[in-house]
Amino acid sequence: MLILLYTECIKTFAKWRTYIGFIAVAILIPVVIALMNLEGSRFVERQMRGLANDFFITGNLFNGWLIAQIIMNGLWVHVPALISLVAGDQLSGEATGGTFRLILIRPVSRTTILNAKYLVTLFYTKLLVLSIAALSLGLGLAFFGSGDLVAFDRDMVTILPESQLWLRFLLAYALAIVSMWTVASLAFFISSLVENAIGPIITTMTIIIIFLIITNLPIDAVEPFKPWLFTTYMNVWQLAFKDPIDWTEIARSCGALTAYSFCLWGATVLIFRKKDIVT
Amino acid sequence: MANDVVLRTENLGKKFGHRWAANDINLEVRRGDVFGFLGPNGAGKSTTIRMILSLIAPSTGTVELFGHSLLKKRELALANVAGIVEKPDFYLYLSAYRNMQIAGSLTLGSKPAKKKILDELELVGLGDRAYDKVKTFSHGMKQRLGIAQALLCSPELVLLDEPTNGLDPQGMKEVRDLVRVLTRDRGITVFLSSHLLNEVEQVATRMAIINNGTMKVQGSVQELLKAQANRLSIHALPVDKAAAVIRRFLPEESIAISGEQILVTVDTARVPAIVTALAAEECEIFSVEPKHSLEDYFLTVTETN
Repeated sequence: MLILLYTECIKTFAKWRTYIGFIAVAILIPVVIALMNLEGSRFVERQMRGLANDFFITGNLFNGWLIAQIIMNGLWVHVPALISLVAGDQLSGEATGGTFRLILIRPVSRTTILNAKYLVTLFYTKLLVLSIAALSLGLGLAFFGSGDLVAFDRDMVTILPESQLWLRFLLAYALAIVSMWTVASLAFFISSLVENAIGPIITTMTIIIIFLIITNLPIDAVEPFKPWLFTTYMNVWQLAFKDPIDWTEIARSCGALTAYSFCLWGATVLIFRKKDIVT
Repeated sequence: MANDVVLRTENLGKKFGHRWAANDINLEVRRGDVFGFLGPNGAGKSTTIRMILSLIAPSTGTVELFGHSLLKKRELALANVAGIVEKPDFYLYLSAYRNMQIAGSLTLGSKPAKKKILDELELVGLGDRAYDKVKTFSHGMKQRLGIAQALLCSPELVLLDEPTNGLDPQGMKEVRDLVRVLTRDRGITVFLSSHLLNEVEQVATRMAIINNGTMKVQGSVQELLKAQANRLSIHALPVDKAAAVIRRFLPEESIAISGEQILVTVDTARVPAIVTALAAEECEIFSVEPKHSLEDYFLTVTETN
């Protein structure tokens, strides 16, 4: 298995498309930080306008932590597209390139090959989320310094003390990885159904957008469906900034996301084991 | 001997929708054979090879490689097998060396030795291009790289599906020579699928012919062609009248009609009498030709009514 992971890593990380996500993040995050720098503390003032009459706020609230959280909020819809760019190519790319004929005639089970590909996909997803974390926190803290975090959550503002923030961000990024693994699993699954690289990206994004719309519809008729859509749990990382942290809700969301990933992986195995390689 | 059989298929078939791409294929390839698998384009050769190499699941029948059932013991069955199915495709963005490493790792379960990879690349004339990306390779070079990766793990059976497709005459000769080297020097059994009869005639020891998804004939090339020694093609018009005359001399099973040609299996001593009878019945005789080559045999098998 180790040698398969090694070869899958070589294949994945030698491709130009693998780096599109990292390049996009490396461009977007500094741009957002530069724009925030221009905007200055006006952003916080605007967000806190409603509270200014009741509270007297001191200290540096416009800091690196806040920037990292804003970036996370802003990028969240776009990161799945970057993930499906690689995850959606893992199986369909081999079909398109004809290389299934090179690897699937070897004395290794299809499930083992698929598992190696899946693990590398999860590794790439983790790496992409961690690169967002490293860049946004690193640049944010370097340019804007540290301080307490004003966590805006719809109609509520929570101020989290600086001392808790490393652990809370660590939790948030860990939850974000679990959430994005579900997206990767979906793209990986679709990748097993088609024989072109673009299909899985478009299909994954279409599914996510449709599910997100249903998830956010304030209509009673769709309420029964919401617990079955993974997009209901996709923003689980935001729970890391609640005070107190709702561990039950985190466990429930992670459980649902993991179950989704597991089912998608299982379905992919079933399809891939029986797939006729005719390309 | 049963032990000498490295590949056996029994009633092997594949149905795509309502169409049988291959049906009731019974092959037997023995150790040391250069086994020619002949058939026109679309005859079902590639489908059969894909089933043997587990790329597609058979609808019926079984495949046994080195005594192991492909269905029940896939890893064991494929342990000593390598192949190229249709055109060899590679990871174009990786070097020839890396492609060889990936292919070898999957068979060996560990990284193949660098020297072994370079030796195989040298054998196929790609020694100096080992670290170049495959996307810079010509079709012929990819074909040779395909053979190199197939040989990397010292297989005992190599399946080559149309290995000379798209190659120039020089390239075709090189592949033929390579096949000879594999069998003679390395003792590898080669299963060679092709629609190029000349190619198979030059290298194959045994062969099978497939057409429209069904197997027509199988056996030693020498024996099959020897049976052809008494085969004649008579071009005489009108065909029906000529055939009726010939039927006076030969049993029905010795006669086959293909277009304006009447193919007969006959003792050569009886040929003058047949020709005389045809002339007496005022048939126009254009030619009486012996049919000894593999091409003639192939056409007889695949085209006769």
